[in-house]
Amino acid sequence: MNRYRNMRVAGALILLLASAALALYGQPSLEQKWSFMAESVGSGLAERQVYIDPGELLALMNNDYIDLIIYDVRAETDWNWFHLLDSERVDLDKLAAQRDRLLALPENAVVVVVSNDEIAATEAWKRLMALARPNAYILEGGLNHWLNIYGVAGEESGDHGETSLATPDGTLRHPFKLALGERHAATRPDERHAPQRDYTPKVKLLKKITRAGGCG
Amino acid sequence: MAPFDLQASIGSTGSYLLYLAIGFGFGFILESAGFGDARRLAAQFYFRELRVLKVMFTAIIVAMTLIFWSTALGLLDYNEVWVNPTYLWPGIVGGLIMGAGFIIGGYCPGTSLVSMVTLKLDGTFFFLGLVTGILAFGETVGYFNEFWHSSAMGRFTLPEFLHLETGLVVFLVVCMALAMFIGFEWIRDAVYGKEK
Amino acid sequence: MNNVADKTSYWNPYLSGVMLGLLLFLSFFLTSHGLGASGGVNRIAVAVEDLIVPEHVDRTPYIAQMAGGDRAPLSHWIVWQVVGVLFGGFVSGLLRGRVKVQTYHGPQISSRTRWGYAFVGGALMGYGARLARGCTSGQALSGGAVMSVGSWAFMLAVFAGGYGLAWFFRHLWQAGE
Repeated sequence: MNRYRNMRVAGALILLLASAALALYGQPSLEQKWSFMAESVGSGLAERQVYIDPGELLALMNNDYIDLIIYDVRAETDWNWFHLLDSERVDLDKLAAQRDRLLALPENAVVVVVSNDEIAATEAWKRLMALARPNAYILEGGLNHWLNIYGVAGEESGDHGETSLATPDGTLRHPFKLALGERHAATRPDERHAPQRDYTPKVKLLKKITRAGGCG
Repeated sequence: MAPFDLQASIGSTGSYLLYLAIGFGFGFILESAGFGDARRLAAQFYFRELRVLKVMFTAIIVAMTLIFWSTALGLLDYNEVWVNPTYLWPGIVGGLIMGAGFIIGGYCPGTSLVSMVTLKLDGTFFFLGLVTGILAFGETVGYFNEFWHSSAMGRFTLPEFLHLETGLVVFLVVCMALAMFIGFEWIRDAVYGKEK
Repeated sequence: MNNVADKTSYWNPYLSGVMLGLLLFLSFFLTSHGLGASGGVNRIAVAVEDLIVPEHVDRTPYIAQMAGGDRAPLSHWIVWQVVGVLFGGFVSGLLRGRVKVQTYHGPQISSRTRWGYAFVGGALMGYGARLARGCTSGQALSGGAVMSVGSWAFMLAVFAGGYGLAWFFRHLWQAGE
């Protein structure tokens, strides 16, 4: 009887200590979580499998069967100069608030992260993966590259040309004269008139890990 | 990082075998713990037997501690874990009805399976009633669809509700469970005298 | 009083709880979700219903989502788990000589009375479990372990319901007074 009592007390103490230690240790932050995931998920980054060509993004934008979310993680000033039609501006630190939405995304949803060059977008992508592992990709070369291809010289902006191909430094390197945000032509290029691109399609629609839990 | 894509790693057959195995363990433990006996289950509500409370809450706190230690160490991704979406009022009303069913019938769905399979007639009748009730629900839920979908709060966890850190909530739940064990045992001893 | 203190040697409840907790953890770790029961029973029942009255199944939304049209209600993990529970319970009972045709009932009532109440209790349980989107296994145990607020609220409601009505049904379980 005494031995039994001792075992119960021991068990209770173990649980108390384990949970108290847990309270002190805490749950991982987004950065820590990314470091746990980096090995299994990071290969997609290293091998450029999650970087998609602007041509592919354009195809996604025009695809009615895909639920496309474009996260633009640049500063507001850059956003005001130019941003893609139907994209959403989210600061890097505010990405965490997207979690519930990301967890509830349908199977045909695709997330694309854009920034001026790829730098900020890559960082954002890592955080999104740590946050909710969505089906997310990064625009290759960022908006600078996009504008190289689809940018239209005119009243609102100077010649886009090759100036943007300078060393990527995260800035928007296109000569806009007017901050028209999404009202430039290049925010949603017309597929029929835009330059055709050859690219390897990388976007896949993933079947989620069984989200059907609970009592059926 | 767990959970892994079962379909990809062990395929459909493997997945179904895994679920069979998990279910086997579940049923085995339930029967071994005496949950195939309605008298012991119902006795919980008279403070005579504390099996239900002890097994249930011990299981919860053990699993909880292991789960959240796994997430803390990066072995498990909590975001990928299924957290029952909260539909507050259907859950509460359903729970009250189930409480009534528990005291009247003496089982819950899982335990009735165990009881029936060990040839207990009351368990079998309970199971038949269970199926009837379930089918009745399917037929009638259309009449109160709005309520059925009401108070949906999605994936709502205790730490979010209490505005406390996850680890702290685990600790508090463990404390609460242990306090309940002590408290209920005290009540039982007071009402029925000390038993083994 | 004796109807509870049988000579059968059941496992210590705390030990059972620890084992169940380990199993529950493994389930979450390997499959991303916990245990369940009522959903499996539901699907099996609906599968049978689909064989008998398929047009009705197709036209009732709640059932159709499981078995309407081409859907296979049985290809869901919970069905397999329920089958496993049956096997596990049986083997456990067999090993300990507890597989016997008998009826557990309180000393004040007969077996037949017990059957009637068991059926009614089961019906309430079945209805309530679907309303709550889970039963004590799926919602309370599993949802409770991962801290779902709805699951904890549900758990409280179940205990409240049971304790609240216990007095009125004591003749089913208690010895005479």
